[in-house]
Amino acid sequence: MTGDLCPLALLSAGTEATVADIRAGKGMQTRLFGMGFCPDARVKVQCANRGSLIVSVGDARYALSRGIAMKILVGCAKGVA
Amino acid sequence: MSDGIKVLFGAVLGVLYVAFGLLQFILAAFGPVESLEALLIPGDIFSGFVLLVIGTVLLTGARKLSGGAADGMPFIYVGILLSVGFGLVELLALCALGADAYLVGEWADWSVMDTITPLLYLAVLGVLGFLAWGREFLRGIRAA
Amino acid sequence: MTREIRIALTGNPNVGKTTLFNALTGSRQHVGNWPGVTVEKKTGRINRNGYEIEVVDLPGTYSLTAYSADEIIARNFLLDEKPDVVVQVVDATNLERNLYLTTQLSELRVPVVIALNMADMAEAQGDAIDRARLSEFLEIPVVRTVGTRGEGLDTLLEAAIKEAKTSPHHEHTVGYGDDAEAKIVTLVDALSADRNLAKRYPLRWLAVKLLEGDENVVSKVREGPASVRVQSILSSIDADEYEAVMADKRYEAIAAILPQVHRTDPKGTTFSDMVDRVVTNRYLGIPIFLALMWGAFELTFTVATPFMTAIDTLVVWLAELAVASIEPAWLGSLIGDGIISGVGAVLIFLPNIFILFLILAFLEDSGYLARAAFIMDRPLYAIGLPGKAFIPMLIGFGCNVPAIMATRSIESEKDRLLTILVNPFMSCSARLPVYVLFAGAFFGAQAGGVMFFLYVLGIVVAIVSAKLFRSTVLPGDVSPFVMEMPPYRLPTAMTSLMHMWSRGSMYLRKAGTIILLGAMVVWALASFPYGVEYGSAESFAGMLGHLIEPLVAPLGFDWKVAVALIFGFLAKEVVVGSLGVLYGTGEETLSEALLADPGLSAATALALMVFVLLYMPCVAALGVIKKETGSWKWTGFAVAYGIVVAWVLAFVVGHLAPFFIGGA
Repeated sequence: MTGDLCPLALLSAGTEATVADIRAGKGMQTRLFGMGFCPDARVKVQCANRGSLIVSVGDARYALSRGIAMKILVGCAKGVA
Repeated sequence: MSDGIKVLFGAVLGVLYVAFGLLQFILAAFGPVESLEALLIPGDIFSGFVLLVIGTVLLTGARKLSGGAADGMPFIYVGILLSVGFGLVELLALCALGADAYLVGEWADWSVMDTITPLLYLAVLGVLGFLAWGREFLRGIRAA
Repeated sequence: MTREIRIALTGNPNVGKTTLFNALTGSRQHVGNWPGVTVEKKTGRINRNGYEIEVVDLPGTYSLTAYSADEIIARNFLLDEKPDVVVQVVDATNLERNLYLTTQLSELRVPVVIALNMADMAEAQGDAIDRARLSEFLEIPVVRTVGTRGEGLDTLLEAAIKEAKTSPHHEHTVGYGDDAEAKIVTLVDALSADRNLAKRYPLRWLAVKLLEGDENVVSKVREGPASVRVQSILSSIDADEYEAVMADKRYEAIAAILPQVHRTDPKGTTFSDMVDRVVTNRYLGIPIFLALMWGAFELTFTVATPFMTAIDTLVVWLAELAVASIEPAWLGSLIGDGIISGVGAVLIFLPNIFILFLILAFLEDSGYLARAAFIMDRPLYAIGLPGKAFIPMLIGFGCNVPAIMATRSIESEKDRLLTILVNPFMSCSARLPVYVLFAGAFFGAQAGGVMFFLYVLGIVVAIVSAKLFRSTVLPGDVSPFVMEMPPYRLPTAMTSLMHMWSRGSMYLRKAGTIILLGAMVVWALASFPYGVEYGSAESFAGMLGHLIEPLVAPLGFDWKVAVALIFGFLAKEVVVGSLGVLYGTGEETLSEALLADPGLSAATALALMVFVLLYMPCVAALGVIKKETGSWKWTGFAVAYGIVVAWVLAFVVGHLAPFFIGGA
């Protein structure tokens, strides 16, 4: 995996990425893990609107505001906006 | 069903909705117009806004689909769904007001024609679209 | 001979747990509160095979950490109360994430049975789940259920009973990798020094939680003899890193099993996603939402009309019958003019409320409302409100009581408090009778426009108040918005109706109690001292009004209005009823009486409506505010702020209005 990381918020609709790190408070981090945003998890951006996203993780879909999407770091191999 | 027909349908219905929506705004601002009486258009800006929204969704879909974009179809489907949905709302409203007129004893004064609006009759075209492509659409929803 | 079994029902949010719970327990339910918190506790009872079963519905959670009150409750219940068996409701269309919770349950060393719910949806998607194999891998029985159709319930109960009676239970754990496992061993060793803890909790679980940095467990350990040694081990590691690693390992374990038991067509972007593209579109999203809201309100007001007419006719007829046929006269008056008319004024708006709630329930159950909350998150964020405040605000247009209770879904206490404080400005249905009366009497054809103005004014005041509170009494950043988007589905009539009922019944209860009481109090104050003319200035009601009159005189209100406003404190609907009493007329002729009163003009009528819109929440709403915030201070603040804002704005509107009304 390349060393380049970027926030999930910057991806455009239709892109897939792998979660690398979560830079949020402990509580939020734990919650996100439980929802599926774990290191090495594959996510796909379904809808993107100026940083707010709807992403799919496995079979689940979550809406994330820009604030939290900026804190989820993924590997930016391809398809970055 | 080829894409071309869907584009045409979306474009035509979209233009109709937008046009009637704008007409409702105009009538609200300037008062009734003799020649348009037969079209039963109320000067109501709110339902006019709704007509505009439905029209815009359909036109957006038509534009995207003609350009080959993948999300063109959903726009048209949602447009059709909105059309039919709001048509149902108007239909229910019509029945309710009719029932009320009956209960209050003003049945003789009340006329169905008073309550028919473009939001209702344009939906008939929407229903056609739904009948044509509805099954594809619903299958898609259940599988989601 | 009956034996008792206790089942704990757990699972992720949105898996149909509530529906399953309802299907299992039917009407034998009891709703209360978990002690010390405002989280709802539901328990129910079933009789099966000679066993008396108690089912406890634990809050839906994604995992068993100490992050939120919901999770702590669920976890503590499982550890301390030690239910006989845990039934985890799993969403068959979302196995991967649901199993995350399963891995954590397994570590608690409680007997578990999995209810593989929403099996019908999974099958419709073309998914095939090998239940037998899954059961083998997890060492947990897996039962197929469809909560909405009541399928699989018997099998589930039998499996649960069987599991509860079997012992010992196999502890099935995830391997966390050499490094973590080594740390766990040392921690378990250190913990064994604390006999108390060792007796109550599985040591491995404690060790795992310590490694993850679980606050709750850390504090439990700190109180005991193992504290020092445990602290020294923990201080040498980075808990955040371990938590990530362990979460990863759990998912790895799940990923190892899943392909062998779950056969599914690869779904890239589903149709639901495509519809989302339209609905959350940057430009069309909000207009579509506004259009749908118009549709909802239009439907509510029109479809409710014939019902309202019917109820009105019935009430009037009953009231006249009572007055005419009941002896003695004073009793006839109490029942007819007081109770029946008073309560009747409220019942008339029942169809309105129930239809609005039904439509909201439909939108919510279909999945659209989650998208709407997402769309509205950005504008709400700009005001200082969390995106999740959106649904409670919508419900507030029906009745503030269920709306304030709905704020429980907001995690941050501050955000929640803010939402609760501005909620009463959403014009609830109780204020409608006042608008209809005054707007109808004084504004004739413009009545609709006036009412629209009032609703918008309420929203504007809510927005301004939110910004104001944010920058003064409740500073801080709005917490981030994370919300699961369930797939779109067509809700069944039953589900939506039950949903509607759970909210609407709160309003009914209020009507049945407080308003009934209020109607009687109004009647009493208007009828005494004995012999006085009903509702005149000499009655207690009149005296009360004259007392308050100076306070509202600048607004153009006279003593009659003052009295009505005081009674409105009980429930805003009572305002109209009391005015009817004070003017000595029935409902129909009240408008004429109002118009004839020289003290009331269109401007004062407008000021009065603004006042009613804004001045403090009614008793029922205040009760809920106190219950949900747990604080008299904030409840009092809500009252004071409401009255001040109402007075000021009514004053402004009353004096500015003549300039605008003249031409209209």
